[in-house]
Amino acid sequence: MITLKAYLFISLVLFVTGLVIMLSRKNIVAILLGIELILNAAALNFVAYSKYTAANLDGHIFALFIIVIAAAEAAVGLAIVIRFFQVKESVHIDEASDLREELTR
Amino acid sequence: MENTIAGYFLSFEPLQYLVQNSSAFLGFDTTALIGFMIFFIFGVVFLGFLATVGGFGTFAERKISADLQARIGPNRVGPYGAFQLIADGIKMISKEDIMPRSADKFLYYLAPFLSLFGVVCTIAVIPFSGNFIMADLNVGVFYALAISSIVGVGIFLGGYASNSKWSLLGGMRGAAQIISYEIPVTLCIMMIVVLAGGISFGKIIDQQAGMPWNWYIFHNPFTFIGFFIFFISNLAETNRAPFDLPEAESELVSGYHTEYTGIRFGLFALAEYIEIFVVNGIAVSLFLGGYHLPFDFLEGTIPGNLLQFGTFFIKTCVLYYIVIWIRWTFPRLRVDHLMSLCWKYLTPIAIFNLVGVAIWMVAFDGHSMFDLLFSGSSHSGGGH
Amino acid sequence: MFSDILFLSASTLIIASCVLMMWTKNLMHSCIYLLGVLIGVAGLYLTLGADFVAATQVMVYVGGVVILMLFAIMLTGGKDYQSKTQKILGLLPLMGSKYTFMWGTATAMVFGFCQIYFFRHLFTALEVQETTSNQYAPTVEKLGELLITDHVVAFEISSVLLLGALVGAAIIARPRKDRPAFLEPVDHHHDEHGEDHH
Repeated sequence: MITLKAYLFISLVLFVTGLVIMLSRKNIVAILLGIELILNAAALNFVAYSKYTAANLDGHIFALFIIVIAAAEAAVGLAIVIRFFQVKESVHIDEASDLREELTR
Repeated sequence: MENTIAGYFLSFEPLQYLVQNSSAFLGFDTTALIGFMIFFIFGVVFLGFLATVGGFGTFAERKISADLQARIGPNRVGPYGAFQLIADGIKMISKEDIMPRSADKFLYYLAPFLSLFGVVCTIAVIPFSGNFIMADLNVGVFYALAISSIVGVGIFLGGYASNSKWSLLGGMRGAAQIISYEIPVTLCIMMIVVLAGGISFGKIIDQQAGMPWNWYIFHNPFTFIGFFIFFISNLAETNRAPFDLPEAESELVSGYHTEYTGIRFGLFALAEYIEIFVVNGIAVSLFLGGYHLPFDFLEGTIPGNLLQFGTFFIKTCVLYYIVIWIRWTFPRLRVDHLMSLCWKYLTPIAIFNLVGVAIWMVAFDGHSMFDLLFSGSSHSGGGH
Repeated sequence: MFSDILFLSASTLIIASCVLMMWTKNLMHSCIYLLGVLIGVAGLYLTLGADFVAATQVMVYVGGVVILMLFAIMLTGGKDYQSKTQKILGLLPLMGSKYTFMWGTATAMVFGFCQIYFFRHLFTALEVQETTSNQYAPTVEKLGELLITDHVVAFEISSVLLLGALVGAAIIARPRKDRPAFLEPVDHHHDEHGEDHH
C-alpha cells in the first residue's frame, strides 16, 4: 500500500529539481522549465492530500487551475523570451538589466 | 468493468473454471491476474490488427490513387498486388539506417518512437464493438485526444533533430498545424459531450443505438455541420492532403522525415496511417453511431460482437476511402491559408455550433430533429 | 497491486528524468526529459484516482506547453550559458565558486537544523489523518458540478486569464514594424555569450 509520504517524496524531488534548475541555469527558457516542475510538484501535493485526507475533490480543482495557470504562464513567458531574443540577440538572464540604474554591460 | 474486454471474457464458463482452479491451486484470488492476461493478449491482438491496417493503408492508398488516375497500381506481388506491403516492409527493414552526421542522435532516434507511441496508446479506448474495448475509461474521448497529441512532439523533434532545412520547416509546420487544429476538434467533441452528457465512449455510443437517424450527425443541424468540421480538422491533424504541408513533396522534399531512412521512416509512415484509422474510428464513434447495428442481433455473444466489429470497421473504412480520395483530388493549401482556415473559419464555426447545440438542448429538451418531425415515434439519443 | 506497479514505474520515470534534466547540458534534451516528468506525474495522478486531472495534464502539457518550449528553445538557439569546469564540483550545477558553494551548504544546514529544532512541535501537530475512502470513483461528473457551482468564480476568472494570456502573447511576440533605432539588433557574434562572461 502506498502512503501519502511516498507522493510527498516524489513531490519534493520535483520541487528541488525545479529549484536547482531555476537557480543554476542562465538561460531564460531553462528557468521556465524549472518553474513548470515546481508547479507540477504543487499540483501533485494537492491531489495527493485530496485523496488521503479529504473526501472531496477540491484538490483536483486546485490541480486543474494550476495546470491552467501553467499554460498561461508558459504562453506569455515564452512570448516575452522570444521578444527579448529579437531585441538582445541572447536569452541570458543577466542581459535583462535595462531597468537597472547603471548598465552593467 | 463489465463491458470491457477482460470483464467480458472472464464471464465465460471455461475461464471462470480456470480462475476457480488456479485460485485454489495458487492460494490467492487470480481474477485480476487472469483478467490482466486477457487484457495483455488482446492488446497484442489489437496492436497487430492496427499495424496490419496501417500496412494495408499504404497499399490501399496506392491502389485507390491508381484507380482515380486510371492506372493499375501495384499488381506484381500476390493477387492484385495485395502482398505489396510485405515486400515494402522487407525492403524497409533491410535498408541501411542512415543518420546525418550533424544530427542530434538522441532526439533523432527518439522521434519516430514518440510518434508511434502517441498513436498506439489510443488503442486502449477505441470501441471496436460492444465488448471489444480494452478500457471504457470515464475520460475516454479526452484521453484519446490528449495522448494523440504526443504525435506532434514526435513530428517536431523529427524535424529538428535531422538538422536539415527541409526537415526543420516541415517539423515547425507540423507542430503549428497540429496545435492549431486541436481547437476545432476539441470544440466539436465538446458538442457531442453536451449532447451525450458524458465523455466515455460507451455512453456516447449507446445513445446512438438503433436506426441511422439516431446518429449524432443527424441529431440537429449543428452536429451535421460539426461532423464536417471534425473531419476537415482531423485531415489536418493527421497531416493528410490537402493539409499535408509538413511533408509537402513539391516544396520541402519530404518534410520532417526527409533524412529518415529504412525502418525509422517506416515507423513514421506507419504512425500516420494508423492515426488516420484511429481518428476516423473516433469520428465514427462520435457521429456515425459507432459499432451499433440497426437491430439487436446476437447482442453480447462473440458472433454478435464480431458483427458489430465489422460494422465499425466498414464505417471506418468508408471514411478512410474518403480521406484517400480527397488526397488524390484536391491541391495542397498554402501555409498561411491553412492557418487562416483554422483560426478564421473552422474555430468560429465550431464555437457557434457549440453554443447552438447547447441552446438546442435547452429549447427542445434534447430531442433530435427526427423526433420533433415525427413527433416522438422513436426515442432517440439525447437526454441525460 | 497494479496501482503499486504503476506508482513504482511512474516514480522511477520521474526521478530518472529529473536527474537527467539537471545533468544534461543540452536544453533540447532537458525539455524532452521534462516530457518524461510530466507523463510520470500524469501516471501518479492515475494512481491517485484523478483520471480527469491526468488527462488534462497530458493534454495541456504535452500537447501545448512542451511543444511551445521546444519552439522557444529552437528559435532562441538553446545555448546553455553555464560555466563548465572539469573538477568534481563542476559536475554539480554551480551557483558561483567552490567557496560560495561550501559556505552556502554549511549555512543552509545550520539554518535548516535550527528551523527543524524550533518548529518540531508544529510538525507533529500537523500530522494528517490518512483516509482512503471511495478510492477510484469516477471524478468527471463531480468535477464538472464543482466547477460550475462552488468554484464558478475561479472558473470564470481563469477563462478571462486565458483570454488575456492569449491576446498578450500574440501582441508581445508580434514582429513590430516601427521598432526604435536603439532596439535594432547590433551586429551580433554568436559566440559572445558562449561562456559565462561575468
